[in-house]
Amino acid sequence: MIADIKHEDFPKAESAVPTELVESQLPSLLIVDKLSLTLAGNKILQRVDFSLPKEGVTSVIGPSGAGKSSLLRCLNGLETCWSGTVVVDGKDIRQWRGGWDQLRRYVGLIAQKPVVFNASIRANVCFGIHGWRQRRRADELVEKSLRQAALWNEVKDRLDAPATTLSMGQQQRLCIARAIAIKPKVLLLDEPTASLDPRSKQLIEQSMLQLAKDIPLLCVTHDLEQAQRLKGRTVFMCDGRVIEQADCDQLFKQPQCIETREFLRWSVCDCD
Amino acid sequence: MSLLPIQHRDALSKGMVLLFALPALLIPTTVLCYIFWQAMPVLSLSFVFGSADGIGFGVTEGVFPQLVGSLLLAVMACLIAIPFALATALYHRTYATPRQQRWLNTLFTMLQGIPPIVFGLCGLVVLVNLFAWGVSLLSGAVVLAVVVLPLLVLNTLATLERIPLAYSEAGSALGLGKGAIIWRLWLPRCWLQLLTGLLLAMARALSETAPLMFTATVFSGVVWPDSIFSPVTTLQTHIFYLAQEGNDPLVISIAWGSAAVLVLLVASFGLLARLLQKLGAH
Amino acid sequence: MMLRWWLSISTLLSSLTIVLVLGFLLQSSWPLIQQQGIAFIIGTEWYPFESLFGMLPALIGTIWAVALALLIALPCGVAAAILCAELLPKPLRGSVRFGMELMAGVPSVVYGLLGMWLLLPLLESQLNLLTGRTLLAAGLLLALMILPTIMVLSEDAIRAVQQSQREAAKNLGIGWDATLWRVLLPQAWPGIRVATLLATGRAMGETVAVMLVVGSIDRIPEPFYNFLQPAQTLTSRIGREMVEASVGSLHWAALLFCGLMLAVVAMGIALLSDRRRMVI
Repeated sequence: MIADIKHEDFPKAESAVPTELVESQLPSLLIVDKLSLTLAGNKILQRVDFSLPKEGVTSVIGPSGAGKSSLLRCLNGLETCWSGTVVVDGKDIRQWRGGWDQLRRYVGLIAQKPVVFNASIRANVCFGIHGWRQRRRADELVEKSLRQAALWNEVKDRLDAPATTLSMGQQQRLCIARAIAIKPKVLLLDEPTASLDPRSKQLIEQSMLQLAKDIPLLCVTHDLEQAQRLKGRTVFMCDGRVIEQADCDQLFKQPQCIETREFLRWSVCDCD
Repeated sequence: MSLLPIQHRDALSKGMVLLFALPALLIPTTVLCYIFWQAMPVLSLSFVFGSADGIGFGVTEGVFPQLVGSLLLAVMACLIAIPFALATALYHRTYATPRQQRWLNTLFTMLQGIPPIVFGLCGLVVLVNLFAWGVSLLSGAVVLAVVVLPLLVLNTLATLERIPLAYSEAGSALGLGKGAIIWRLWLPRCWLQLLTGLLLAMARALSETAPLMFTATVFSGVVWPDSIFSPVTTLQTHIFYLAQEGNDPLVISIAWGSAAVLVLLVASFGLLARLLQKLGAH
Repeated sequence: MMLRWWLSISTLLSSLTIVLVLGFLLQSSWPLIQQQGIAFIIGTEWYPFESLFGMLPALIGTIWAVALALLIALPCGVAAAILCAELLPKPLRGSVRFGMELMAGVPSVVYGLLGMWLLLPLLESQLNLLTGRTLLAAGLLLALMILPTIMVLSEDAIRAVQQSQREAAKNLGIGWDATLWRVLLPQAWPGIRVATLLATGRAMGETVAVMLVVGSIDRIPEPFYNFLQPAQTLTSRIGREMVEASVGSLHWAALLFCGLMLAVVAMGIALLSDRRRMVI
């Protein structure tokens, strides 16, 4: 059972560990093994294997319909009908103590469209904190989270204004602040800068790089240049399968698989 | 008709529509004006807030006891129905499987269609006789609660269904449990619509007469209820008994006066609900 | 977990209401079925003292009253809906609708008063009748009561037809009359049908107003289309005789059977009119 794997056992662990990872010496916080998801007869994910290094940003790229968003939803338990194993911090997530709710405090998720709650900016940031007394006295935490999300300067004088008055880019950064306020150990991001203005994109990428120094980030993105800016490992998925995963530079300059090469060639042509 | 040129055909059609629709345009105002015109001789503050001095068979000057009785029944009915309605709607939205959801929808749609007098009959059989509660405030309130329950359930369900899934998932992604999502996300967002539904339920409970006739009220002799196990008097049944009284013009006026008060009461709840709806839309 | 248990139990209890209601009705009317089979449903005589429980007069009365009400209210309501949705300018439209919604809120007992003290004398004088308590009076009163329902829901249905449909018709040079009959009404028809079914259910179940004006004579109208005679409906019978029947007697069982019939038919109508077409 994978559930008993500890970090020290890496890479001497059982055959459940994918072989590419034996090369990189970084221990992993999140390991996915043979994850398969079928919804309404469609094979969304097929035996996905990969692992997340302990720090840095890992980008997931691939054409539409490759199952990237579904992968993230499986990892934090919003989808539960998948088969396979996911191990976070040495523990199988299906047997996580406290159930899915506790898992989600460990593995945060930022959705593609920002969803702010009908409350003030401050209340939104503190929303995930248990206990309303702690929420009342959380000013420091609010400031720290908003700074890390690169939103503090724009809202510091109107923390009690309704969150719905913010622009889309600001709302997305608020969602990031809200997610990191509960101090997750892994952060999943589903196309966080899709349809945002260039400035918000830049600010969010900068905060992601900062955050990645402390916790591992897994970011799905359609924007190949963004994947290159974020550096770190890149995973290429197609038709629900992981085709190739390697360091960013290596994947883009010397892709090993045909599908990767095809995808990169067509994407580059599109950009031109 | 197809031989006429288009303009003539249109004019003819519009004329016919107007003709058929004329009663619908004129009647509401006529009806309401008539009620208040007939009630004029009797309507006054002392009528609304006064009580019986001499007690003839169901004829009293002043309808305050009846007003209070109606409100008491309606409020009790809503208080009984609300927890069940809320629980059912929340269960439907959070834990029910699709099959259970369909069954719940069907059950409550069917319940909504049953004529209130049938509930009154059942109340008579079960509450008044079987449980031996007798004709009482409690029996009437429970029967009214059953009448009002499907309304509340379906309204709450419709309100909860309007909350986008992404909103709830954002709360889930933060690790909030179902209870926290309900209490901190759903209720603050839709309490206004829930209140509107409640007001509409109150308006409905205030206008029901048939289920109360055998379960909560008696023909005469009651002014104020002693306890929840004693009968009450209500505006609706008061009007009904007066209507069968006879042709004494005083009785007729009192009946119209009570009717006017009842219409105002029900209308105020309905208007308040509409006002809240408009407010909520902003 | 606590939350789940509490919600499940409450839901179960509230879902049981309908089962309990039907169950008690069936159980209480069983003695009658045991004794007389179901032939009494088409019996024509209702004499409780001689244990004759023919349902036919009341059934025919109910059907007639509802049919009359629909005959009057449907054209009027739909016409008013068309008027509001298509012809009237905005401020007038709002006030007509408001008037209708106010009327919808008027309690049925007040309609009963209107029926007794306004409608009956009117009928007696205009139609030279011995008594105004007739099926016609019941039908007119019910029509008045269901008019707001039909009008409001039909107007919603007509307004729900997209503007693009009307524009497409205009582009083809089709006049208002033809647009109404060939584009708007066919598309609004499901909504109008729902409105009609709901109104039917309401008319069928109305007790107090009908009780006061229908005459409560258990007799099949002669000839059968004569609605200028006093008659009886199921609801009126239950309302009037409930206080007279002693608990547990056959009369009691018969009245409860009337209630059962009403409930079953009303549930059927409610299911048919449910917009989402559920399980059954």
